[in-house]
Amino acid sequence: MAALEQSFRTNTQNSATAPKAEIILAVTNLKKHFGGVKALDGVNFSLKQGEVHALVGENGAGKSTLIKILSGVFPFDAGEIILSGNNYQPRHPQEAKANGVQVVHQEFNLLTHLSVAENISIEAMPKTHFGLLDRKEMNRRARRALDAIGLSDVDVRTTVQNLGIAHRQLVEIARALQSESQILILDEPTATLTERETSRLFKIIEGIKAKGVTVVFVTHHLNEVFATCDRVTVFRNGETIITEKIEDTTPEGVVGHMVGRKLAEEMNNAVPEHTVGSVALKLKDFCIEDNPHNDGISFDLRYGEILGIAGLVGAGRTELLRGIFGIDPVRSGKLERDGQAIEFKAPRDAIASGIGFVTEDRKDEGLILDMPIAANVSLANMASVSSKGLLSFTKERLQARRGGEKLKLKYGKTSDPASSLSGGNQQKVVLAKWLARNPKILILDEPTRGVDVGAKAEIYSILKDLAKEGVALLIVSSEMPELMTLSDRILVLADHQLRGELSRSEFSEEKILQMAYGQTTDTKGIH
Amino acid sequence: MARQTDVLSESRSNEFSLRALINKAGIGLALLALIIFFSVFTEHFLNANNITNILTQITINLILAVGMTFVILIGGIDLSVGSVMAFAAVVAGKAITLPGFGTTEVILLACLAAITAGFVCGLLNGVISSYWALPSFIITLGMLNIARGAALQVSEAQTIYSFPFAFEEFGSAMIYGIPVVFLVALVLVLLAWFILNRTVFGRLLYGIGNNEEAVRLAGHPVFWYKVAAFTICGLTAGIAAIVYMARLNISSPIAGIGFELNAIAAVIIGGTSLSGGRGSVIGTLIGAFIIGVLANGLILIGLSDFMRQMITGVVIIIAVVLDHYRAKFAAK
Repeated sequence: MAALEQSFRTNTQNSATAPKAEIILAVTNLKKHFGGVKALDGVNFSLKQGEVHALVGENGAGKSTLIKILSGVFPFDAGEIILSGNNYQPRHPQEAKANGVQVVHQEFNLLTHLSVAENISIEAMPKTHFGLLDRKEMNRRARRALDAIGLSDVDVRTTVQNLGIAHRQLVEIARALQSESQILILDEPTATLTERETSRLFKIIEGIKAKGVTVVFVTHHLNEVFATCDRVTVFRNGETIITEKIEDTTPEGVVGHMVGRKLAEEMNNAVPEHTVGSVALKLKDFCIEDNPHNDGISFDLRYGEILGIAGLVGAGRTELLRGIFGIDPVRSGKLERDGQAIEFKAPRDAIASGIGFVTEDRKDEGLILDMPIAANVSLANMASVSSKGLLSFTKERLQARRGGEKLKLKYGKTSDPASSLSGGNQQKVVLAKWLARNPKILILDEPTRGVDVGAKAEIYSILKDLAKEGVALLIVSSEMPELMTLSDRILVLADHQLRGELSRSEFSEEKILQMAYGQTTDTKGIH
Repeated sequence: MARQTDVLSESRSNEFSLRALINKAGIGLALLALIIFFSVFTEHFLNANNITNILTQITINLILAVGMTFVILIGGIDLSVGSVMAFAAVVAGKAITLPGFGTTEVILLACLAAITAGFVCGLLNGVISSYWALPSFIITLGMLNIARGAALQVSEAQTIYSFPFAFEEFGSAMIYGIPVVFLVALVLVLLAWFILNRTVFGRLLYGIGNNEEAVRLAGHPVFWYKVAAFTICGLTAGIAAIVYMARLNISSPIAGIGFELNAIAAVIIGGTSLSGGRGSVIGTLIGAFIIGVLANGLILIGLSDFMRQMITGVVIIIAVVLDHYRAKFAAK
């Protein structure tokens, strides 16, 4: 603890002279947009010195954007940030650091082939009188930084790649803290930690807080918010909805604020009329290689049904779809297609059995952006536009036009590159690619990500029509209204496990979120 | 691509095709400019003899560059083609000088041997780099050494010579002043163009170079396509070996040193992107011509061979810088 005190000496002095609960950061009406997308649309919140402040909200609510603005990664468009009484507008991360704003980002920023000590000192390497690296001093500083957060069991000379994920996270925190900090922002620090490591982190946070440093804590786990934080600010659609003291609120209250919309009645009116047929795809204890647990997932997908899968980022939704489609290896469990046991060793096998997969990331996995629309539409269906390996451009063009017509695709020529289209139309090209095969089962991962509202509605009606035609649809989406509009049933995943199933009459964002957030710490120790 | 009949957004599409025209013709215009320049400033450039010379000189590089185009289009590189060519030539040289066979038999045997040697080397390059997803730069650098060592080992570091007369004749044969070996290269260019532009295989090679994952997720055996591209490159090294032997009437284990770099240069000058997915074998043809015309013309002008090499280097760099801007231009 002596080391801890030493490392926060400056801050301790500050907090001794400053009155308690002084506002050190005030954000007023902050706005930021990327192209036409509003990422932040009026963010208001403040930080008191020495508090632990939680930021919560659904995926895409604007938490990460705010953090990136505070840490100088992006500039903001409008609004005001006051830090310690001064206007604060960091132009780059160094400026944020110089102002004592430190961030431990969600994605690791460590140099894996260097030692822990080198990583900790990377911003300011100590030098000897001859200008050479002072390895002794570097290791001493690193030792002090690690001791300060109670990481005395890690040798500072170890290379980072030899550390587990949890230790890497803690090394990042140590690095952030060894320079003088007023505000420490932790972006989902517990996402990869076990329960034991999480409680260790909480102790460290307590220690940091005791030294007068303000901690901002972004998390998806509400129980952690209620265990460690003093206040919580709720984000929704790029706006801050409310800031509450922890003792004045409940987890249910926070979820209510996160959801906001009361769409349930409206949703019930929109029940699509269609009959559900026999089981198209059955999963029995299906467990992908990356699943940290041993028990897999079981469910049935029927013809004519739209089955939604809800869950938070990191719940294993995309991984499940990739496992089904034969992209990622499967550890155990069975797949049945039309009642027959089947195994997909590669996407080719899944496609041959009548499955299509609209991936989450159309730029990296769905489309070949620089190639013509027609070539993208025919990519999964080469056989119908060629004979004996020779391409027929006429057939290919016709296929693209037919697909384009069906999906109301707005395009110039079928020979234009896919990159010339808007996001919504690009997504329609991906759909057209799979629909050209007349799939029996269509798997979709975030089918309307980055798609504007008009195209979204069109894609919804296309998907509903497909279900009416008897296609079985399996949809993963982070947008709950989307799932509730489309799905006949919703499965909720958390931590690679099925946490619940809701039928249409039971749909509500509160229920989904509670299942998605609920009791995650209970299973956290199992790794 | 085939002719379009769509009339939607007329102005945009016109603009696009004009841009495409400039993109495609740019490199051809550069070649034309070089030819005009040398025709004006040198006496002998347009002589029939000199043209025959140029065609003969670019043949081997062109054949290697055709195979190289396949590999570079999928985002790979093959540094081994020069050595593989030497290895194939030595193996074929051993075959063609076997005693106790008829002339036709040994020539066929030699061709088969050269092509098999190139095929095997290319196949190994492809399988090893694709299976373990390793950079082809490193794997083919290894193959460069393996093939060179094998060539020296098989030949016991001796040049093999005294080939059948019919074989030598093929190497120096002409049709209307055009070397037959150049026609062989031209046929390979056309064949490659057909494969790359008219077949599913060729389309998917472009696809792999642009976005390998999308092609894989669309259910295509990407591994085998990549192996095939490297194998084709090895095959062309084998064919180049046959042409080399026929032209020079020897098989030398130290032949083809640095040929891989000339082949890569032709592909890059021809506008094929080193990161894959964009380019054409017609561009490669023009690229090989540019290198050949420069080499010939600069010497006719009276520059030393050293100056020629410097200028070729400058041209490569200019080509890549232009390509950088062209890619940005096209992305807009």
